Amino acid sequence: MSKPADDAPIDVVSLGNARYQVDAGTRRRVAFAVVAADTWVFLDGRVYVVPTGGASPARTSRADERGALTAPMPATVLAIHVTPGQTVQRNDVLIVLEAMKMELPIRAPRDGRVRTVACQPGELVQPGVTLLELDTEEA
Amino acid sequence: MNGSVQFSRILIANRGEIAVRVIRACREMGIESVAVYSDADRRALHTSLADQALRIGPAAAVDSYLSIEAIFSAARRSGAQAIHPGYGFLSENAAFAAACRDAGLVFIGPPPEAIAQMGSKITARRLAQAAGVPVVPGETPTDQSDQAITAAAHRVGFPLLLKPSEGGGGIGMKTARDAAALAAAIAQSRREALAAFGDGTLYIERLIDRPRHVEFQILADHHGHVVHLFERECSIQRRHQKVIEECPSTALTPALRRRMGEAAVAVARKAGYRNAGTMEFLLEGTGDSARFYFLEMNARLQVEHPITEQVTGVDLVRAQIEIASGAPLAWAQDALAQRGHAIEVRVYAEDPAREYLPQAGPLLIYREPSMPGIRVDAGIVEGGEVTVHYDPLLAKVIASGDTREAARHRALAALRSYPILGIRTNTALLVALLEHERFISGDIDTGFLDAEGDVIRAGLSAEPPREIAAIAAAARAEGAFASGARRGPAPRGDDPWTSLGGLRV
Repeated sequence: MSKPADDAPIDVVSLGNARYQVDAGTRRRVAFAVVAADTWVFLDGRVYVVPTGGASPARTSRADERGALTAPMPATVLAIHVTPGQTVQRNDVLIVLEAMKMELPIRAPRDGRVRTVACQPGELVQPGVTLLELDTEEA
Repeated sequence: MNGSVQFSRILIANRGEIAVRVIRACREMGIESVAVYSDADRRALHTSLADQALRIGPAAAVDSYLSIEAIFSAARRSGAQAIHPGYGFLSENAAFAAACRDAGLVFIGPPPEAIAQMGSKITARRLAQAAGVPVVPGETPTDQSDQAITAAAHRVGFPLLLKPSEGGGGIGMKTARDAAALAAAIAQSRREALAAFGDGTLYIERLIDRPRHVEFQILADHHGHVVHLFERECSIQRRHQKVIEECPSTALTPALRRRMGEAAVAVARKAGYRNAGTMEFLLEGTGDSARFYFLEMNARLQVEHPITEQVTGVDLVRAQIEIASGAPLAWAQDALAQRGHAIEVRVYAEDPAREYLPQAGPLLIYREPSMPGIRVDAGIVEGGEVTVHYDPLLAKVIASGDTREAARHRALAALRSYPILGIRTNTALLVALLEHERFISGDIDTGFLDAEGDVIRAGLSAEPPREIAAIAAAARAEGAFASGARRGPAPRGDDPWTSLGGLRV
């Protein structure tokens, strides 16, 4: 399939029912799109998620003031790889959870020292419950 | 099958795509289907498709799909004569199968004794050995001292794997390539086993380098007939979760296939097995000189059963129901043959770019592909919701063709015509896997996805082409808002998947 020239005009026409006809130069395709908190677009077999507001996505990490790491969903604690007092580096796997039959590694968001471990292997944890607290390591 | 089906009503003790699959088989056979659902599945596809649907409890599986009491109560209320357990949940629970028998309900699966035997890896290994089928050399020394484990390691042979005997999920599993690496591996494996499972007992197993996972489907009736329905190649997996399966396997020759099929039947006979089951083997090497080892038996219908159906023409769910009703098998072994090729890809609600994090959310757009040679087994509908409570498998796309390449091209075409919007899925990963040169050449083993996954996943995030902004703008201008969605950006804090106590993981 020929790639349309970069400056070829793009013409998008709604076909109804979330379908859009996309003409770029001589190339015609059908896309799917739906607007929610993000705008989801399906084109050429790929899914693209763009922020609906048009601004850049507000997805940068915010550090919890207490340095608490919590479970993102109901899960079972599969393994704990650290102990209190241990120094960890950003991206180290601290805890492994299991939910929906999948392993979910909980990683250190930054360098630091483990203050407390507040869960046990085999424990069922709920979203928002603190699993571990991390102190920022002084340089 | 001689019109011998006696059931007029079957309860399906499951959810999702497999419940839908069984409901469809019942409908085709003129049997009434009874669905059960948790509060999370009130509006699920299986709940709406069945002839009857009964609530069995709250969302948590332990209080609903795993509750024997709740299932029995529904069976009594519905007047069902038989229960199909699907896969997962209660399907391999010997106590449940026994309780069905005691309650006068037919369990559509193997007898409880066979489930119990196969549920224990140790008993299953002994059975296979008694049937003359090779197993991967391994042992759990009663004496767990370093000296005793070292002695056992030399008996088993290198390279080897140390596994916590209480474990699972690969935790504490260590490789020792030679005797020099053994002491460190023992200490490390034992330490992790103690930390994770509170038990440091280790199992020692010969490591099969670059093995393939090849399994054989068997069917056994109540009249002494056992047949196999050939293999399924399931080597494309990560942490024991299968992603792509195919039939036939590129690694098997007719002679090897015959030997493995005979081994599968021999183990089933030795176990007194009934109904549908699967023998899993590890395959070392390819062709006539390859060696195979019995791994375990799955005493249930498998997720990947459709590829066997496409290649043999046998409806396995129908066969399960007929066997349970007492009918003899309709085919002798030599009447079964493989025709063409089938590939199944599993569509999961997960984000491959973020360590395969499971995804939950609304299915704003969900349109299944429909084209020659494509079958989609799914348990979801547009407008539905994927919740955190259950397994993230959304759908299976099964592509069939005269050749492997034909099936592969059909699978690719189907995935490219399969919009799923509202939650992230692994479809881009599936496309990349099907296009990978090692998959195309059939050069795969169970380590393939772990070895190549990082490179493949890195290639998935593409800059949006300039059409995307134009399409998004058109959708917004048209006001193509998902029902229930707010106009304009929603606060992000209500999405548990983007934050972890404010920190992304």
